[in-house]
Amino acid sequence: MEDVLFRTRDICKEYPGTVALRGIDLEVRRGEIVGLVGENGAGKSTLLRIISCVEQPTSGSMEMRGEQFRGRNLLDANKKGVGMVFQEQSLMKNLSVAQNIYLGRERGFRRLGIVDWRRMNATGAKVLDSLGLKDISPAGKVLELDFATRQMVEIAKVLDIVGDSEEGCLILLDEPTSVLNDSEIRKLFEKIRIIARQSNSVIFVSHRLSEVIDISDRIYVFKDGRQTALLDKKDANEDVLYEKMVGRSTSGEYFKVGSQTEPGDDVVLEVRKLGLKGFFKDVNFRLRKKEVLGICGVVGSGKEEVCSVLCGDDRPDEGQIILDGEERRFSDPSDALKSGVLSVPKERREEGIIGGMSVAENISLSSMDAISRHRIISGRARMDRANDWIRKLNIKTPGPKESVATLSGGNAQKVVFARAIAGRNKVLILNHPTRGVDVGAKEEIYQLIREITEKGMSIVLLGDTLDETISLSSRIIVMKDGFVVAEMESPKDDKPSQFDIVRYMM
Amino acid sequence: MVMKENGSSRESGSVSRTIAADFAERIAAERAKNRIIGLGPLIVMIVLAIVMSVFVPGFFTWINLTSILQQISTPLVLAMGLTFVLLLGSIDLSVEGVMGFAGSIVALLVLNTKNSVDLGVLGMLIAVLAGTVFGVFSGILHTRLKIPSFMVTFGMGSAITGFGILSYRGIPASIKAPMFARLASGTLAGLPLLTWFAMVVFLIAFIVERYTAFGRHVYAIGENESMARASGIDADRIKVAVFAWSAFCASVAGIFGAIKLNIGEVIISNGFLFSTITAVVVGGTSLVGGSGGVVQSLVGVLIVTIIQDSMIMLGVNAYVQPAVQSIIIVAAVALTVSRGRKTIFK
Repeated sequence: MEDVLFRTRDICKEYPGTVALRGIDLEVRRGEIVGLVGENGAGKSTLLRIISCVEQPTSGSMEMRGEQFRGRNLLDANKKGVGMVFQEQSLMKNLSVAQNIYLGRERGFRRLGIVDWRRMNATGAKVLDSLGLKDISPAGKVLELDFATRQMVEIAKVLDIVGDSEEGCLILLDEPTSVLNDSEIRKLFEKIRIIARQSNSVIFVSHRLSEVIDISDRIYVFKDGRQTALLDKKDANEDVLYEKMVGRSTSGEYFKVGSQTEPGDDVVLEVRKLGLKGFFKDVNFRLRKKEVLGICGVVGSGKEEVCSVLCGDDRPDEGQIILDGEERRFSDPSDALKSGVLSVPKERREEGIIGGMSVAENISLSSMDAISRHRIISGRARMDRANDWIRKLNIKTPGPKESVATLSGGNAQKVVFARAIAGRNKVLILNHPTRGVDVGAKEEIYQLIREITEKGMSIVLLGDTLDETISLSSRIIVMKDGFVVAEMESPKDDKPSQFDIVRYMM
Repeated sequence: MVMKENGSSRESGSVSRTIAADFAERIAAERAKNRIIGLGPLIVMIVLAIVMSVFVPGFFTWINLTSILQQISTPLVLAMGLTFVLLLGSIDLSVEGVMGFAGSIVALLVLNTKNSVDLGVLGMLIAVLAGTVFGVFSGILHTRLKIPSFMVTFGMGSAITGFGILSYRGIPASIKAPMFARLASGTLAGLPLLTWFAMVVFLIAFIVERYTAFGRHVYAIGENESMARASGIDADRIKVAVFAWSAFCASVAGIFGAIKLNIGEVIISNGFLFSTITAVVVGGTSLVGGSGGVVQSLVGVLIVTIIQDSMIMLGVNAYVQPAVQSIIIVAAVALTVSRGRKTIFK
């Protein structure tokens, strides 16, 4: 048998309502670099959090260095030789490099309570040295370092915390390359290889498949919380990985593809050369009347930021937004709303509904003018309208006066839709409209989307899954690293396959 | 299926470069801001001193200089405590209460007009210890019950003020201990004794901040508490210790107050909370935690004291003076706070 350092056995993780992981049997050999790939929500990050003991698995077990591995938190994991380098960096910018490396572990450098910084710096220099990071000064503040260097320091720190190199340790890297440039990535990979040569192992997660293939010895492919393939480096190429990553398509009936609206000819919203510094650039598209435009892309592709610019949450650095032939600059979401662009945000509980208010109040929130006279709200008009919508959208609530907070996810989402439609908006921006919604309500929402477009509204959609985006959209643009890399029609009788799109996404 | 590929000249590398460049830009901006915050107060202090020397008659004299150094003793001691609290990202509104309390009971514990107790130095130690205990309480309530520090210390401050008044039952004790008179007027190397004591507190604070793991941990918690906890730092213990230290400093300031005024009354602390917070923030310690330090606070105390001193010398209306201070603190916070478009302030 191979020299296995770490192994998971049948790891499952359930959250209320969803299963994030099931039946994960992962094996990491000594000195090996293992890649994890998968679409958004495939469960990679969840698995890393479980391995680093930040979260507990619902069932299943893990083994490290041949022993049962279990811990209550990151510290426990560290003690047993598992360290994690977080996507968002965890260094303290206001402390020095050495102070960061030894944060919480100053004991060895203390004498009568006074820390011997010189000795700590010298030891820190050795730690940095072992990764070939000679040019980083351990006494310098982290604030003074550039992002890539900070990441190296972080890796050195994690390695030093878990480093018991004779036994071998496991380092988890979650999307370490997302904000690095090419030469920085090359340097990072050098360091990762150094780590592996010291008989440690690395689990490497990235959206960029070419990188994963480059650095990994073996690659696990995840899909919908399951591992679908395990490939050796020599067998892996991007096409094979794409194929293993995409899910089976659900039947068109589920998404009401049959009643997909034919888009009209007039352009409602046009975006020209739109850019937001550091997030996306040179984005162009046209949204026609009655059209559902789906935007696909991995996390960090810039699609979320495009939406937040469209609905006035962020101001673009360059380019134009043209609504009904007129250039607009939205100062904030309420400004966008006045012009007829309404966004249904992803974090519904925080951004989409006002939990303390009633169903009726929420529904009329964006259309106060319609129910008020001389700025005084008519309670009866509000109730009438609310009852109307509750009936129309089949919202399950004891009554319009019920607090929205008590509604289920799907019904709360329907309230958001009612608010959107009641406001007679031209453009709806739907950001994960079915997240956390149960299956039955999902179908109702799909139906609703068809009805909304039939009435003449246009929709920009970020779907919860690729499948959903493809099925609901009549046109799709794909974003990668901040650019639109592909655009395709998605008519009801000739839907593109998930494979077609994933190819561009990664 | 119609497909259009926008492949031309759009290598993913170019955007990662802009993202990387963006980060570089952001980090550079952060550094520049840090340098301004780091050096700004010192420059302000020097400019203020020069301007006042030129425009305020009698400012640039030995008598006024020693007077300023005499004036800083109490706010400096208070600032040493508050600096650590602010570094955590918390606030301690109980310093006036603790200060008044310690000042009140010390008068009852040394030779005084109200009772026959005469414990001398021991009385001072007891008073400081009693005040410090309230800081421990505040810290424990704050960390165990997870009550925001402003609320805990606000309540604690009122309660302690009440205890202080209760201790002398409305009629404060005058101090008759000769030691107090000596401490009030005594000098060493031309400087008031109390200023020397304040310097000792400053030195302790400085050593704790720079040369102990504890000091670094305070910075780490202020910067990112959850990561600090994940690094194995016992954040709760450190917070309790910081609130205890703040209360210790406030108690010492209370003794100073009793020494200066020769009376044990809670009102000796009136007005010190606000001017001390002003001093600490003006010095460059951020209200959100993680940056600043005791040296900055020393500069801040000097700035505030110079302004107060000059206003008095210029005969500015006593009721206008707090308004000037308010403008200074709001301006200092406005200059240093970071703003995000989507950040919601409450």
